[in-house]
Amino acid sequence: MKLNAVWSLAKVLTKSQLRGYQRSKLLAKLFGNPSVIAIVDVLLVGILGTIGYYLVSNLPQDLLTTAARLEAEMLIGIPTITTFMIVLFGILSELSQPIQSTSADLVNWLPITPSEYVLGSTLSLSYTYSFLLAFFLGVALGPALYFDHVLILAATTIMGAISLFIGSSAVELIRAVTNRISSSFYRKSGRSGIFARLSLTIIALVIFQLLFSGRVVASLLDHLTQTVVTVWYVPVMWPSLVVQTLSTAANSVPLVFALLSLGFMLTVFALAVGTRRAYWVPIPVSIRLSTQPYHASFSGFRLPGLGIAESAIIRKDFHSLTRRREMARFLAIPFVLAASLWISLYPFGGSSEGVGLAETIPLYVIPIAIFCEVLSMTSIGQEGAAIWNLYAAPLDARKLVRAKMYLTFILGSLFTCGLLLAITFLSKSGIAEIGSLLLLGLIIVIEESALGVYVAGRFPDFRETVRSRYVSVSGSLLGPFLGLVVALLTASPILLADTLQTVIPPILIVVLIGLLISAALWKLAIRQAESLLTEIQV
Amino acid sequence: MDVNHVSKSFGNRHAITNVTFSVRGGEVLGLLGPNGSGKSTLMKTIVGIIKPDTGSIQVLGTDVTSDPVAIKAIIGYVPESPRLYEFLSGVEYLDFVADIHMVAKEERQERIVEFFKALDLEGRENELIHGYSQGMKQKLAIAAALLHHPRVLILDEPLNGLDPRSARIVKDVLHKFRDNGVPTIFSTHVLEIADAICDRIIIMDSGQIIAQGTTQELKTKAGSAGSTLEEIFLKLTGTSDTRDIVEALGR
Repeated sequence: MKLNAVWSLAKVLTKSQLRGYQRSKLLAKLFGNPSVIAIVDVLLVGILGTIGYYLVSNLPQDLLTTAARLEAEMLIGIPTITTFMIVLFGILSELSQPIQSTSADLVNWLPITPSEYVLGSTLSLSYTYSFLLAFFLGVALGPALYFDHVLILAATTIMGAISLFIGSSAVELIRAVTNRISSSFYRKSGRSGIFARLSLTIIALVIFQLLFSGRVVASLLDHLTQTVVTVWYVPVMWPSLVVQTLSTAANSVPLVFALLSLGFMLTVFALAVGTRRAYWVPIPVSIRLSTQPYHASFSGFRLPGLGIAESAIIRKDFHSLTRRREMARFLAIPFVLAASLWISLYPFGGSSEGVGLAETIPLYVIPIAIFCEVLSMTSIGQEGAAIWNLYAAPLDARKLVRAKMYLTFILGSLFTCGLLLAITFLSKSGIAEIGSLLLLGLIIVIEESALGVYVAGRFPDFRETVRSRYVSVSGSLLGPFLGLVVALLTASPILLADTLQTVIPPILIVVLIGLLISAALWKLAIRQAESLLTEIQV
Repeated sequence: MDVNHVSKSFGNRHAITNVTFSVRGGEVLGLLGPNGSGKSTLMKTIVGIIKPDTGSIQVLGTDVTSDPVAIKAIIGYVPESPRLYEFLSGVEYLDFVADIHMVAKEERQERIVEFFKALDLEGRENELIHGYSQGMKQKLAIAAALLHHPRVLILDEPLNGLDPRSARIVKDVLHKFRDNGVPTIFSTHVLEIADAICDRIIIMDSGQIIAQGTTQELKTKAGSAGSTLEEIFLKLTGTSDTRDIVEALGR
């Protein structure tokens, strides 16, 4: 094995991953250097450790027992949680990567062996995700020093590093297996394969998002420490068992689990090398949608109120959303928001009784605003390098804006109806209230569609990388912020109805505000699209 | 088609400087030049997707800057290395282009089937473009450019990646368009092709036209009557002395 080549490859892959997420060349250059990553990790541990120690030292006596229990749970849980998180991050990164980028990677053509590639890639993933381990260790450091558990902390650190490597090797294994499975699956399944991929991606994203809810992580950690001994036969638990048994069992037990952990790490690595060797370069698969000869059945298809050209753009954009795996995250937003809403209304162990309409309005308005805004503000950048097709087409700004707004309007309206149905069920509202909420939701959908297209045209990002944003950093910050302001401003007559006590029904004021804002945003979007269409940007 | 004193800069870089030429109906104009000489920028400017800093372009009597939508409706354009919508199938892509150009249902049915057959894409039309080879994508881009019976053709290296049979078909189609009076601008790096199908040739370097005329006129201008177009090109663009480079690369 050429270790120099492995080392160089690891650095290149780290830079490549960072450039996918991080647009700043300076940051990518800095963090492409493993020494800098190590320094940042050490600083993170030091700073969090100092803060943690200060906080624990100043805790009231009655809270120290709880802190001690949490510290023990953390030290035991860190190795397993690290593996778990890296695998999740790896899957998410894989899902959001355009498939053509994986097969076109220059590295596929370099004279390196599969084991060199897997080791380089595993090291690169370990650098990239080392901040996770550093964060967990930093949080645990203060309490561990206070309660004098330095030896256990040292064991957690070592086992955490092993878990980091296990997680990174597992991601490599998943990548290779995914290439193989998806290639065979798509070759045979066609249209149903695309649907299955979309559904699976959405489910994975919802699970991932929910895991980042603090409540779920706390519950997971608690469950993990309670069950860690009973599931001793699960290899991913072995690093945590080393820490667990260090203070409770004979010296030989942690040693056995440490050796088992090392063995497991080498096994996962060997499996990753084996699968990479077998399925080295992902082969772009030809997905056949139909076996029927061409028939111009959809020709001249028009959606109500639109021309043929706009309807064609909407059909194309709908296919883009449902067929591109990197776009599935946008379709997952309603499901993620609905799940978060559910958790907010039904806390673990809580009840659904007593949820009033006033409390539900922000929970109704904000998800609609975020979903429509995100969908609309990415609608132009998602064209990527293929945007020339629209530039070279005889399209004026009005047609482009109408087409881009309409798809958001259709999907946003469907989401609004679904959300309203859930809220109606939860809050047991009357017909008049449901009607008002429906009108409010639809007005917000129109406003956000227009605002989103303005942001999309003002701040487009046509670069196609891992987790492309399709809108510049400024746009991705400004869009949702303005979207929330517009939505809350529109909903304010209903939110403040009790305080304002106006003669005019609040919903009429909402309609008036909505019409004014929508008209202004429509004009802005048209002007921006005219400016955008003046000159191609890629 | 009249291009008058057109210039375009990107920041400090002058992509095109004071370019003037015209193309008659039924004429095929070959655009030659080294990489980065401004050919693609010039073509994008004519199509109306890049706005010139100075100068004007008239296509069939319409000014490109003042009515780009009208120009785009009559132009058939193939960019260099065209990126297509890879999540659409071949037929879906052509259907999309036909919808944008409002091609009638019966006509598109006939033309799309014809194109797939002529360009050897028959049987692959329902597959996602993502799985197509580079050559197949190029063929699809050419079919899309010709689908709406364009009255002007702007083709940026259209024969890139095409197999000999498809290249021959495209060349024959170009002749057909020429016979129908369609003006064509055609860029290529393959000088034999330019020599074979272009009525007139423009050679660009560093954003400027350094020579234009028929192959015969260019030979006379270069002062080497018996030379090939390649030799004239290398001489005019100052890249003729390649011996040292070949020596270095061959080592």
